[in-house]
Amino acid sequence: MRRVLFTVLSLWLAFGSARAQSATQLRFCLRSEPKTFNPLLVEEDSSDTVRYLTGGVLVRLNRKTQKLEPGLATDWKVSRDGRTIAFTLRPGLKFSDGTSFSAADVAYTVQQMMEPSLHSPIGDTFRSGEGATESKILAADKVAISFPAPVAGLDRLFDQVAIMSASSAKKEMAVLGPYYVSENHAGSYLMLERNPNYWRQDAAGRPLPYIDSIRLDIQQNRDLELLRLERGEIDLVNSIDPEYYEKLVKEKPALAHDAGPSLDSEHMWFNQVPTAAISDYKKAWFQSANFRRAVSEAINRQDLARIAFRGHARPAVGIVSPANQFWFNDKLRPHPFDQKSALQRLQKDGFRLHDGVLRDVNGHVVEFSIITNAGNRYRERMATMIQQDLAGVGMKVNVVTLDFPSLIERITRTFTYEACLLGLVNTDLDPASVMNVWLSSAENHQWSPGEKKPATAWEAEIDRLMRAQASTLDDHRRKQYFDRVQEIAWEQEPFIYLVTKNALSAISTSLSNAQPVVLRPQVFWNVDELKLAPEVAATR
Amino acid sequence: MQRLLRHAALILVTVLLGGLLGATLVRFSPAFGVDEAELDPRRSSASIESIRRAKGEERNIPAFYLHYLGRMAKGNLGTSRTLNRPVLELVVTRLPETVKSVILGLLVGWGAGLLLAIPIAMFRSWALDIAASTLAAILLCVPTAVFALLFVVLRTPGRLVIALIVFPKVFRYARNLLVKSALLPHVLTARAKGLGNLRVFARHILPNVAPQLSSLAGVSVSLAFTAAIPVEVLCDLPGIGQLAWKAALGRDLYLLVNLTMIITLITLMANCAADLARPQGARA
Repeated sequence: MRRVLFTVLSLWLAFGSARAQSATQLRFCLRSEPKTFNPLLVEEDSSDTVRYLTGGVLVRLNRKTQKLEPGLATDWKVSRDGRTIAFTLRPGLKFSDGTSFSAADVAYTVQQMMEPSLHSPIGDTFRSGEGATESKILAADKVAISFPAPVAGLDRLFDQVAIMSASSAKKEMAVLGPYYVSENHAGSYLMLERNPNYWRQDAAGRPLPYIDSIRLDIQQNRDLELLRLERGEIDLVNSIDPEYYEKLVKEKPALAHDAGPSLDSEHMWFNQVPTAAISDYKKAWFQSANFRRAVSEAINRQDLARIAFRGHARPAVGIVSPANQFWFNDKLRPHPFDQKSALQRLQKDGFRLHDGVLRDVNGHVVEFSIITNAGNRYRERMATMIQQDLAGVGMKVNVVTLDFPSLIERITRTFTYEACLLGLVNTDLDPASVMNVWLSSAENHQWSPGEKKPATAWEAEIDRLMRAQASTLDDHRRKQYFDRVQEIAWEQEPFIYLVTKNALSAISTSLSNAQPVVLRPQVFWNVDELKLAPEVAATR
Repeated sequence: MQRLLRHAALILVTVLLGGLLGATLVRFSPAFGVDEAELDPRRSSASIESIRRAKGEERNIPAFYLHYLGRMAKGNLGTSRTLNRPVLELVVTRLPETVKSVILGLLVGWGAGLLLAIPIAMFRSWALDIAASTLAAILLCVPTAVFALLFVVLRTPGRLVIALIVFPKVFRYARNLLVKSALLPHVLTARAKGLGNLRVFARHILPNVAPQLSSLAGVSVSLAFTAAIPVEVLCDLPGIGQLAWKAALGRDLYLLVNLTMIITLITLMANCAADLARPQGARA
């Protein structure tokens, strides 16, 4: 009897320890609760993270090489007219719930995505002209999708389209990515389990992903998130602020990673809306390229990067970050800090500096306010530094911080502001993704949204070039057009680009194979290849 | 029974008026109807227009409120715009978390408050009185958010912050009441006649202070719910306090109206229970 008991106990212990060794769980935080699990309706970071971890895509943009790689599709071809893309699908794949994957699922996903009433943000990026999108199932593993007009960077856009099942009862919860959502404790945490039907294998033929589950804690308090990382309760923080980064470098340097300039930039612009409720003489200043260039040259970008961002940013050049390897126009350089040149430009427009006060040609003192969002300490710091820099050329600047909805209301509805300091978060490398910013008729053409016709010759030229690049398939010709757009934006400065922020992250030393990059998601872009140290796995 | 019905009618009217007032305040708050998604560069003009149109439907408050009440009668509390979920589902999942925090906070706060106030009144312990009064004064001066952050750093359950908010109020009020009652002539006579402390407290002091303490109980419930908002936000506790904060930042009309009504209902019910618990004579 004693022997039997001993054997049972030994087996139980052995099984228990084996389980503890094999069951690995990655833990990190989401800053808010995901708003949706429907991959086509994703618009904020948390939902995007869940989509990235669970969604299977036809083609995947390798975040490190910035090149497209096969995903659910083994092969794809864009037609000469740029309207049609044909995919050959990987055979024998299944969704996480066991439902088979076929061309019908691709057709269903595209049909859902392009449904006008859904207002899918991803669907909007495919909309290039009036008319219906058609999906033709050529075989169980072949599908062709035709759009009413050419779509620039068509294949690359499919990196964002997670394929949904047309027949699964679980709807969007049946997925083709490395993980699936197994538990959702609203407001508390999400549990993702390894998808048993995930198609990828490593070089040795072992099924991926290596990590069995992911726990995503909802944690909006950033201080707490970092504290939890230092205590070893979570394994990574995908994006951290320069201040936290510096703190981490001092306390636990092995955890801190700076991948260099990201795609995100900080910029300011002047209100050029013709109907805005601001004085006519101020409108005239803001509409002058000389005035905007002078302001740009009077701002010390190096100092902004060094002081406001603790050296983890670089003076910005323009629309495109140097991190965007293909589309960045490398002939351009950041505007130098040169207050003499700034004053000379202002003199061309009749401005005069007297007793440290700048006045325009009609004697009006040059004074304006910059609005920015309250609570963002980096922008608040930048605004204060800009205030000091512009005082050097006699301009009086007032800094006004507003809560984010109030700021959005001012820049999109009431236009009751003079200048605004804000950031641009770029998730896509292709210039097609910024069409709604640079076309003069677009709502996000922030210095003067929704122009009936281009207000200036250079805006008309940008419109022409943006449309030309969007309707051309040859990437090198597209780049020529977009290089010119970058040059015009650099000369005219409707947006005064200030700094390009670095991609900072924190990664536990127990997590291996992590290669932080500048593209989102910076740390877990290769989630299926990440590994956790066995001792960490045993403690969870 | 009549008293109960009168209270119920009063609660219903106040809750409905509270909901209407809440909706009006949200409607006229700055940047009502603005959505961050409008800045998404991927969005086409048609998409942005659709977002604005959807928010525009909530601008007419009388129409919104009537429509809302009609739906509420059918058990539909609307959908939260910030979290994209039915409000009923959000409340059902989040309310237990807050109730747990509030009950724990009230129990610990009341327990500590009475545990210190009773010996001070009964044994005239001046050292204890000075120590406890100083502690209560310090706790009253420190903002709730500071306690919450401190608890996060010290890895202490954030729910206990509510107890620190409730404790000084309960202690100071209970101490003053008990000390005053302990000096009443009939209590002094009872003591002079040799009645034990426990008997004096149970028979002569407690009945005297019970009506006022029950009023304080009602007030402390609303105090605890108010404290739950910063505590849940800073300690990342997924309760309705955190929900209310998010709803306020996002000008989420449906969520805010419902939360206003729920908090009003709970506060009024607590006050009503305290009121009903008091004997008729004490109320008069």
